[in-house]
Amino acid sequence: MTEDYNLNYTDTDIDLTQSLKAPGRGYWLLLTFLFLLICAGGYAWGVQIANGIGESGKNNPVGWAMYITTFVFWVGIAHSGTLISAILFLFRVKWRAAVYRSAEAVTVFGLATAGLFPFIHLGRVWVAHWILPIPNFGGLWPNFRSPLAWDVLAITTYLTASSLFFILGMMPDIAIVRDKARGWRKKVYGLLSMGWQGSDNQWRHYTAAYVFLAALSTPLVISVHSIVSWDFAMSVIPGWHSTIFAPYFVAGAIHSGLGMVVLLLIPMRKAFKIEQYITLHHLESLAKLIIFTALVVGFAYSIELFIAWYSHNPYEQAIFLYRMTGDYAWAFWLLITTNVFVPMLLWSKKIRTSIPWLVGICVSVEIGMWLERFVIIVTSLAHDYLPYAWGLYKPTLIDSLIVIGSFAWFFFLFMVFSKTLPVVSMWEVKEQIEPPMKSSH
Amino acid sequence: MELHRREFLKIIGATTVGTTLPGCGIKQPKSLIPYVIPEENITPGKSVWYASVCQECPAGCGISARVRDGRAVKVEGNALHPINDGALCARGHASLHGLYNPDRIQQPMRKKPDGSWEVLSWDQAQTYFAEEIQKIQKRGRGGDVVFMTQHLSGALDELVDQWLGSIGSKRRYRYEPFAHESIKKANLLTFATEQVPSYNFAEAETIISFGADFLETWLSPVAFTKGFTAHRGFKNGKRGSMFFVGPRLSMTATNADEWLAVSPGTEGIFALGLVKVILDNNASKGLGVVDATRISEIVKSYSLSAVEKATGVSSEAMKKAALAFAKAKSSLAVAGGTTIEGDAGAAITAAVNLLNYICGNIGKTVRFNHPGISNLNTYLDVAKLVDLMNGEKISAFIFADVNPLFSTPSGLDFDKAMMKVPFRVSMSSFMTETSAPANLILPTHTPLESWGDVEVESGIYGLMQPAMQPVFKTKMLGDILLETRKKLKSSAASSPATMYDYVRDRWRLLQKRIGDTSDFENFWIDSLARGGNWESPKSKVQEVRLSPGFNGSFFSNMKNIENEPGKNFSLLLYPSLNHYDGRGANRPWMQELPDPMTMNVWDTWIEIHPQDAAVAGIKTGDAVQVSSPYARFDLPAHVSTTVKPGVVAIPIGQGHTSFGRYADNVGKNPIDLLDPKPSEKTGGLEWVGITVEILKKSERLALVSVSGSDVQHDRAIVQTIPLSELVKPHATMPTEEHKEEAISMYADHEHPNHRWGMAIDVDKCTGCSACVTACYAENNIPVVGKEEVNSGREMAWIRIERYFDEKSPTPRADFAPMLCQQCDNAPCETVCPVYAAYHTEEGLNGQVYNRCIGTRYCANNCPYKVRRFNWFETKWIEPLNWQLNPDVTVRSKGVMEKCTFCVQRINDGKNTARNENRAVRDGEIIPACAQTCPAEAITFGDLKDPNSRVSKLIVEEDKRDYRVLEDLNTRPAVTYLKAIDLRERK
Repeated sequence: MTEDYNLNYTDTDIDLTQSLKAPGRGYWLLLTFLFLLICAGGYAWGVQIANGIGESGKNNPVGWAMYITTFVFWVGIAHSGTLISAILFLFRVKWRAAVYRSAEAVTVFGLATAGLFPFIHLGRVWVAHWILPIPNFGGLWPNFRSPLAWDVLAITTYLTASSLFFILGMMPDIAIVRDKARGWRKKVYGLLSMGWQGSDNQWRHYTAAYVFLAALSTPLVISVHSIVSWDFAMSVIPGWHSTIFAPYFVAGAIHSGLGMVVLLLIPMRKAFKIEQYITLHHLESLAKLIIFTALVVGFAYSIELFIAWYSHNPYEQAIFLYRMTGDYAWAFWLLITTNVFVPMLLWSKKIRTSIPWLVGICVSVEIGMWLERFVIIVTSLAHDYLPYAWGLYKPTLIDSLIVIGSFAWFFFLFMVFSKTLPVVSMWEVKEQIEPPMKSSH
Repeated sequence: MELHRREFLKIIGATTVGTTLPGCGIKQPKSLIPYVIPEENITPGKSVWYASVCQECPAGCGISARVRDGRAVKVEGNALHPINDGALCARGHASLHGLYNPDRIQQPMRKKPDGSWEVLSWDQAQTYFAEEIQKIQKRGRGGDVVFMTQHLSGALDELVDQWLGSIGSKRRYRYEPFAHESIKKANLLTFATEQVPSYNFAEAETIISFGADFLETWLSPVAFTKGFTAHRGFKNGKRGSMFFVGPRLSMTATNADEWLAVSPGTEGIFALGLVKVILDNNASKGLGVVDATRISEIVKSYSLSAVEKATGVSSEAMKKAALAFAKAKSSLAVAGGTTIEGDAGAAITAAVNLLNYICGNIGKTVRFNHPGISNLNTYLDVAKLVDLMNGEKISAFIFADVNPLFSTPSGLDFDKAMMKVPFRVSMSSFMTETSAPANLILPTHTPLESWGDVEVESGIYGLMQPAMQPVFKTKMLGDILLETRKKLKSSAASSPATMYDYVRDRWRLLQKRIGDTSDFENFWIDSLARGGNWESPKSKVQEVRLSPGFNGSFFSNMKNIENEPGKNFSLLLYPSLNHYDGRGANRPWMQELPDPMTMNVWDTWIEIHPQDAAVAGIKTGDAVQVSSPYARFDLPAHVSTTVKPGVVAIPIGQGHTSFGRYADNVGKNPIDLLDPKPSEKTGGLEWVGITVEILKKSERLALVSVSGSDVQHDRAIVQTIPLSELVKPHATMPTEEHKEEAISMYADHEHPNHRWGMAIDVDKCTGCSACVTACYAENNIPVVGKEEVNSGREMAWIRIERYFDEKSPTPRADFAPMLCQQCDNAPCETVCPVYAAYHTEEGLNGQVYNRCIGTRYCANNCPYKVRRFNWFETKWIEPLNWQLNPDVTVRSKGVMEKCTFCVQRINDGKNTARNENRAVRDGEIIPACAQTCPAEAITFGDLKDPNSRVSKLIVEEDKRDYRVLEDLNTRPAVTYLKAIDLRERK
């Protein structure tokens, strides 16, 4: 891949730190808009805390709906980061260098968004800490048989590991920024770079640590979403209680995560004029991965349906029939289309190298993946065992505002990141450029 | 305004005393006798029970009010009372919502000329009342004073008559909207006695009901349900059978083994057809030759084919019913309810009388022994009163707890007539439609605050005592009458000063009459503790013969209430299980209790058959305009097979305009659709007989049903077993099929002392929903209102799941009470991250409300969907919150709640046993649902004790027992017993 880059070290430093220059008016406008949406979501949450969770559209039997949907969605989004940075790193996939920083940011901010929802969905958020294993006078512990307790551990572990990976991977780059910065910024970046000097000794330790962290993070990609899927799979509800859920959710998570990375890279490379660094080749590679994940997800859907039919379990059959023909059938067919069929367009090289097409297809995947979780969660609860207890979920203004606010929150964080930290890993890009010594000769 | 600290404290102090005094129960020691403890001995935190009589309908069931710290918190059936034997219906439970209703009239009021109300003191109000009456007397119009009450018996009934007599009037009206005119008329014609007989369902092996919803609203539903349970109880391979004849599948009808859906108005033809079949088959019993020939002559034209043509019921079904009826050892046919109360009502009832007569049931299962209900005024009397009022012949209209403005058709113009009466006095508890136009209101106590006695049946005297101090500044009706009588300075100066003394005086006489020679105080206290006296000799059963003048011409007006298909429909109005004639509509529990057949709440709807609905393009929830010649309004449609094609049905009870916040503007009052002219044949209101036009409108109305599905999709929630299979001996030895060991990482739960369990007999459950309201009362379950129910947030811990049988040739619904199954392997417990849901050592799925953080995972994972989440903070309206059971936590927003088999009652029972150094006795602990069940469908006990009733029942009924969703390996503690199907299915 080296031949892709026609660059030198100095240009790289200049090009890849100019994104940190003072932002323009458009940036501020967008940021303000997102901030207002966050405020609206925050207000909605306040209303919900004050009045009760009934402000969201949930009921009996649908006790979980958009909040858990969006929670799973953001956890899923968070998966691409570690996949690209850790797994592709271990496989020495070179094109990852240009995109992994953003992917990791997606992971960290995705988790920071997802992490809000367990709080938002609680009936009594003011006692949320009871779910943590905090030693206490009464000797009350969380129930470790509950998948929700596993969830807490999985998410916090993943957040810790991915944050460390994110910060550690940035150290050499922050040092470059530090060297270029002045005033108080120099102090902040100085602190973040943790005394990085770029000495051989430091590099030796650093690269060794990086490999270790990458190896440590890799199983988390699999485990976190497996555990999230067990929130459903460990229950007795038809449509949830299924052994395929763990791989199925991981594949779905990566599917949506890749889509989100593409969606963020495209405007970023344009805005920061770093198309030489994040090239069409990189986007195309991501698009190819999306074809793969779309196929895996499509396979999982068909297996689910097959097993429901094959099992002769009347509840299982009923729920899948309900998904296809019932009150939420539109969502089911929409998700099948957007998640599986639309990405198939990427087989065409023309389409996968066309920016507008890529954006459209990735948006389609995001919509599809959100709907997938919505359909799994809501339809299963709406039509479980006792027909008398069947019910329907309808969103309200409050829960819609909170969900919209969460999207604003994610993009807000990402925008702040793009202006404060180097968005492309300079040191890894440089690894793929001819060293300056050679070119001087 | 500046408020200094000292003043503030003073105000706070004063208001605290002011608000707590009425509640903390400063009791008059002489007057309140607890049921269990012989002496007045109120201990804080300890309940006492006061026996009284329920006044929610004319049935007169005995009740026990549980009083905690001076407040009545629960009403239960009085286990010693012969009428209801400890059971109570949903409306009886909701009497507490009458007592604590925030919309009660709280003090006397007089209407000012500008129409607003002026609050008076009791002295002012009574003086004003007495002066006005005196003025009327001076004008010589004392005899034109009308006093209208609902059905009363005993002391109060007598006192009202006396009071009226003291001012020289005899214009007393005992008004009930359902006054059984047809029954009385028919009995007069056939047996020359104008009374409502008493019916014995328990002794009847075969029952045929012609329209009578005796399990819901007709005459004495709790007592009849008890009797029905005895009739139907499966014993020695046999079970009683019941047929229901009528155009609507009511709750009672669906409890029948066969619903014979005759065209409206043809019930009598069907009955005569049965008579003919029986006589033709020589199956009559104890019938003299003369009577036999006479009756044969009367029914000779009612051949099978003619009857089939008129009624629409196949001749085979008719023959089957006739022979089942005649061949039974004893049988009972009843006719009643609004569906037969048309112009032909008396003829229909007379036909049913003949049916009973030829099978020898008169004097056995139908007894003429003067129940109190017979003295009601007819609708004709009310219509005549309207004429008198219009002619300004009435000088004063005094009424107590009646609401004719609501329960007579608007075409009668009772309101306009009433305004022609110069002095209108309401002695009622509520500002009803009839109270609102009064010019003086003397608000009365509710029955739970009053003294009184009730003669339900001859020889059964119920005694009413106040369960607590009055909630508001109201008075007992009896006291008002006695005090105003004194003010009127009438002759009866020696009469007792208070209702309490008045009742006691009557009981002195009663004691003498029954020959009890003990000290009166002992007799009195004993009667109070027991809730009455039923030892007095019963009046003799009147022997009746077929009247000599009775002949077939009487049946000439029986005909099909014709409707033109697709154009108009015969209209059926039926009293609602929840609201009866409308008097229960302001009880929030009753509004939120799903109607058992439609599962709708908080509304009035029109039931229309799917065939008719398809023709008109009507779907459930569509607005349809209903128009009769007398009224027109929109109702939401409820498309259902509960009615025959060509028939539409509307429940009575809603559509109030002035009855308080829970009733006003809820639903419509269908009575207005009726012809206000009384029937010439019966003197009653023609509840059936008119046709209405139905017009589909484009908009939809929010009809709220709690049922997610009308059918059970083959999920075996309600299971039935044909009787033929049940009586077959076991083909093989019982296998170990349920013993299949599931592999688990975790050890089984140990239940060292008790394992509480329940058996629910689906065959017995009638769907009456008394358990649901009892649970609301016992467990402080909030009422959430129509919109929240529409969002799927009703809070009931126990519900009656109603499923229509998809495979049944005729429409039929089964009921399954669904509550927490207290699984041994509970899906809810493992998923709670904080152990709020946990397994108690007695096998309950406990819920620690304080620990719950509100993930709702437990509810998601509950296959039975019986957990309920507090979506909002409940607003407990003052003084309805006085009813809250202090033994049960009031849950806050954001926590999950659920049934725990009334764990507070279990603990109470265990504590009692421990204090007495003994083990808990079987039957000592009963959850609220099982306690109140009139059908005795719920048995509760310790599954670890092999001798407990529940354990034995499960062993005995080994062919009927099943657990719902057993395949999930939840190992529920609730065992259901299959419904028995008497019909042979192909």
